[in-house]
Amino acid sequence: MARHPSGGSEDGTGVNLQYSGEEKIAVGPGVVWAFVTDPGKVGRCMPEVKEVAVQDQTHVDAVVQVAVGPVRGKFKLKVELLPDASGRRIDMKISGGGFGSAVDMTAGADVVDAGDGTTLLKWSGQAIARGPVAAVGGRVLDAQAKKLIEQAFANVRRELSAPMVDQA
Amino acid sequence: MSTEPKPGGSLGVAMKRKEDPRFIQGKGRYVDDISLPGMLHLAIVRSPYPHAGITSIDISEAMRVPGVRAVITGKDLEAAGLGWLPTFHGFDKQMVLAIGKVLFQYQEVAAVFAESRGAAADGAEAVHVEYAPLPVVTDPFAARTDQVILRPDREKKTNHIYHWEVGDKDATARALRTSPRRISQRIWFQRCHPAPLEPCGCVAQFDAMGRLQFYVTSQAPHVYRTALAIVTGIAEDKIHVISPDIGGGFGNKVPVYPGYVCAIVGALKLGRPVKWIESRTENLTSTGFARDYHMDVEIGATDDGRMTALHVATTADHGAFDAAADPTKYPAGMFGIVTGSYDVPAAHAEVDAYFTNKAPGGIAYRCSFRVTEASYAIERAMDILADELRMDPVEVRRKNFVRKDQFPYQSRLGFTYDSGDYQKALDVALEKIGYKELLKEQTAKRLRGELMGIGFSTFTEVVGAGPSKHFDILGIKMFDSAEIRIHPTGAGIVRTGTKSQGQGHETTWAQIVAEELGLDPQNIMVEEGDTDTAPYGLGTYASRSTPVAGGAIAMAARRVREKAKKVAAHLLEVGEADVEWQDYKFQVKGVPAKSVTMKEVAFAAYTNMSQNEPGLEASYYYDPPNMTFPSGCYVAVVDVDRETGEVKVRRFLAVDDCGIIINPLIVEGQIHGGLTEGFAIAFMQEIQYDSDGNNLNTNFTDYLLPTSLETPHWETAKVTTPSPHHPIGAKGVGESPNVGSPAAFVNAVIDALSPLGVRHLDMPITRDKVWRAIRAAEAKTALA
Repeated sequence: MARHPSGGSEDGTGVNLQYSGEEKIAVGPGVVWAFVTDPGKVGRCMPEVKEVAVQDQTHVDAVVQVAVGPVRGKFKLKVELLPDASGRRIDMKISGGGFGSAVDMTAGADVVDAGDGTTLLKWSGQAIARGPVAAVGGRVLDAQAKKLIEQAFANVRRELSAPMVDQA
Repeated sequence: MSTEPKPGGSLGVAMKRKEDPRFIQGKGRYVDDISLPGMLHLAIVRSPYPHAGITSIDISEAMRVPGVRAVITGKDLEAAGLGWLPTFHGFDKQMVLAIGKVLFQYQEVAAVFAESRGAAADGAEAVHVEYAPLPVVTDPFAARTDQVILRPDREKKTNHIYHWEVGDKDATARALRTSPRRISQRIWFQRCHPAPLEPCGCVAQFDAMGRLQFYVTSQAPHVYRTALAIVTGIAEDKIHVISPDIGGGFGNKVPVYPGYVCAIVGALKLGRPVKWIESRTENLTSTGFARDYHMDVEIGATDDGRMTALHVATTADHGAFDAAADPTKYPAGMFGIVTGSYDVPAAHAEVDAYFTNKAPGGIAYRCSFRVTEASYAIERAMDILADELRMDPVEVRRKNFVRKDQFPYQSRLGFTYDSGDYQKALDVALEKIGYKELLKEQTAKRLRGELMGIGFSTFTEVVGAGPSKHFDILGIKMFDSAEIRIHPTGAGIVRTGTKSQGQGHETTWAQIVAEELGLDPQNIMVEEGDTDTAPYGLGTYASRSTPVAGGAIAMAARRVREKAKKVAAHLLEVGEADVEWQDYKFQVKGVPAKSVTMKEVAFAAYTNMSQNEPGLEASYYYDPPNMTFPSGCYVAVVDVDRETGEVKVRRFLAVDDCGIIINPLIVEGQIHGGLTEGFAIAFMQEIQYDSDGNNLNTNFTDYLLPTSLETPHWETAKVTTPSPHHPIGAKGVGESPNVGSPAAFVNAVIDALSPLGVRHLDMPITRDKVWRAIRAAEAKTALA
């Protein structure tokens, strides 16, 4: 996983965040694809999620608890899923905010058949945070955002792994 | 006019501040100390976006928060005709709460009223606003292209706000073309913020008769009353503005802010008092910033250093609204003082201002309007000229000074300087700082590769707005006022239209009255800030209190003295023409033994006035004939660590000429405070925005205030050239050190770095900026 400082101010103190990583999931790509294109399941993988309300096949609203440094509160997020017709890539737009802060994220994942019955989920994402969450929490925002995004994709892996354990 | 206190007099006496026992015991009464029965609290929902359409505002969850009583939005205010408020400059208006879209991060979007401050904050967090982001413009040079129009609400569909110019453009261009030597430099005075320790706040309540009582942190209470009458439609007699103790203003508490209007609307709508106290972040991100002038300076000169021409073209970043709070006819304030202390034969200055997606402002942060920017530009440029000519910056300055015999001096940019002795101030500074020795030390250090710098700033400012023929705010002429009442026992009260925020008015105003009337300043009470009792005045900012209200106090006291003279004549049993005021008492002309004191006269004015009108009081509305022109010579000595870039200010000397000094102790304190702020601006402070429009300095961990650990030791000295037109010869001093010092600091650092070929760095001169400049210079040398 890597963070690529980008945009923001000239000296790199901006609050544009970019991350990437991958998860190896012990199920085939078809199962993964069905999961990541299901708005309800994707919504429930968000860290510290409190509420999930599926709007339609590609839209879900979620309320998540956010804590960045001393700034704590609930974010209301709108998630839009943008599955690629190829069935191998899913993009997401996530926007929303709360307590005077806002976040705009885009994330994408390639669903790659590893050829051994497992799937590689190669993901990347970028976020722009604004308001107190960026300003007051600025010094810990990067580490916190990294942790949250890692946790989100780890949750996908765990959710997909759990039924397999049950089946076994 | 003597510059030393007379025996028995009060002028020039280093009297301890009468207000300080109250403050140092924690007994000051600030707005946040005011608590009224049934009071609600206001919290403001602010935009996290710097430029975005507002798609929806959902207040339903906020209204369910326990304790929340109401939420209002821009549309609510617009429906009530209160959607916009005029800025003090008068040519623009500002949204109270965002209508349709937001134009800067932290802009006011909704107001939440609740039973407690916590409930209001919780309610504000529960207001859900959907935004549709729009392209962001944070750079005034990008704004200039008009690719994104930020203010479609305005008639002119452009980001350009105004063009202002002064001086002879053609003559200056000709002189520059024909000058043997020429320098040019873009000099940016960064966006900074006054950051008073007490942020802005208010308490609004309507009494049983429907009259608004408005407690507020205002530097100009009377102007607030008039502005509120204009904005809200409430008759001015139904508005009572009270500014209690104020914990610092520095220009930040001159504008009327949206929170004030919201508090009043809430109090009216809910029938209960409403308090609004902003947070530090709200203060830094949404209330009046200062500076943000990009100044392209060109100087023409002869080979031997005589200036032939000065041209300054400025691009000003005003943020989302033109809320610069300048006098009506002066959109760029007193920027025409940019010729400084120098007799330049041809000069031209122009300013073009633009809207950007940043907080609005451009207020006069501890200076007269835009004077610090002007002073910094010319004082930096003089050093660059000296560098170009390989001359001592001291000699270049000396060669171009307005001479003492040229006063009153008519500058090429329209000002008539009242008095000054720039040569003398420089001589005093050179002697006190030990300039010759410092030069020797610097030479020796440079041979060892050490970086030591000596920086000068020989500035002139223009303060005391101002003569009514030129200056007004919202059409109100910029006079000021005083009302004096002497009680039977010789104690008294003086009320003025100004408002102290720490300047020590309770002491200095008492000293002026005491000096004029021969009374004890300890028994002269000073009252300001209550529009029901104080005479109308324009307030305290732009170093105008002593030049304008100080004049009013002296003139009102002289009126009291005229009346007292009649009573004295009765007591002395002579005709009024035979009475003279001598040595702080009335005496029969030529018979000093036959005299009465003002205290005796005061008692008689109530007990034995004969045919004279009882009582002893007078008022005066003073319209100054001219501005005053304080000046100074500041010297900074710095050592720069070549490895780390750390700058140590080893010495700093301020030689000030502020005319006649009322209280040297207070003047000294004012200079110390102003120098500390100038030091912070030079080395620490900037309100930065990233390219996405995020404000990066929203609290005191990112916007630094110097503590006693960082602050250098200040050395001070004075020269005195009384203002010839001011009733007591005073010029004002509170803002000189902030105006004059940034250039001295920066000039010293650049002087230290000059052996490396560094010619200019923009403020703040942070350690990393210096380190990078040193490394870049060394890399360049290595390549060569």
